[in-house]
Amino acid sequence: MSPATLSLAPVEQEETSTDEVVAPDVPWVTIVWNDPVNLMTYVTWVFETYFGYARPKAEKLMMDVHVKGRAVVSNGPRESMERDAEALQGYGLWATFEKDS
Amino acid sequence: MARAFLREKGHYVALLEPTERTVLLGLMQQTRLLLSPEIEPTGDAFDDLVASMGLSLSPADQQTDSASLDDRDPALDRLLPTAHRGDDEIAAEFRRLTEEGLRQRKSGNLDVALACVDGAVGNRVVLDESQAPAFLMALTDVRLLLGERMGMRTEEDAEALHAAMDDIDDDDPLGYAMAWYDFLTWLQETLTQALMGTDLRDVVAAYDDDLDDDLDDDGRRPDGTV
Repeated sequence: MSPATLSLAPVEQEETSTDEVVAPDVPWVTIVWNDPVNLMTYVTWVFETYFGYARPKAEKLMMDVHVKGRAVVSNGPRESMERDAEALQGYGLWATFEKDS
Repeated sequence: MARAFLREKGHYVALLEPTERTVLLGLMQQTRLLLSPEIEPTGDAFDDLVASMGLSLSPADQQTDSASLDDRDPALDRLLPTAHRGDDEIAAEFRRLTEEGLRQRKSGNLDVALACVDGAVGNRVVLDESQAPAFLMALTDVRLLLGERMGMRTEEDAEALHAAMDDIDDDDPLGYAMAWYDFLTWLQETLTQALMGTDLRDVVAAYDDDLDDDLDDDGRRPDGTV
């Protein structure tokens, strides 16, 4: 294909059958899991520093991790959740991402 | 005896004795070694460019099966944990795309922290605003490694380890490791508090290394681990 054929005009697409339809943008989530090493204050500091969450929200999420064993700390498209999980792992937190269920 | 990190004129300053600094340097160097990126800055423009993208070129990381991970040091799985529970393929892909970058950042934090401890003058370890977060993350990784080496993987493990300290022999290396782990926990707690604006001057600024005091009256650990 030569560059001349490139167009930004919308391309008519074949109709897809319903089984092929991708699930409508299901949000993904980033989860932080409890661990015996990370400090409660440090986890709060990470949530404040990385997400910019205010102290009460950061502390509530930290307590969820501590008491419930895990907390959803952010949600959005998969790429953003991968970025959050990577950043939180950089801070030493046990972070994962998954499709919200 | 060590003094906590306190804020002094826009810096964070702790007083650490030579022995404390030596042990800290040794532990940070070991953590640095474990995390060393595959690609250290080489001076080769292309290699450094690829490395800066965070892509691992290691043949082991090109595989999506978990066989290559079986030989990994378990401490690495603690420092660079799986990012997806339940889908090994997604986890492997994430690892391939991020691990090299994470190793570089963690190693960079440890380099900053090592330089700060090494550069102490008259026991004063001084961190500026940009060094303090790096130092904090470096301490986290050192504690994660030390914790893993002591078998501290769950809350129950941590409690059992602390409980075992009551009857442990003085020359047991585990007791030695635990004492330093607790010291690092204390040090990290004080730096975190200082960064969050808490002034520890009136609370407890000196380290109490008496292992018998490890448990509060109600049996809780004083270090506030999650």
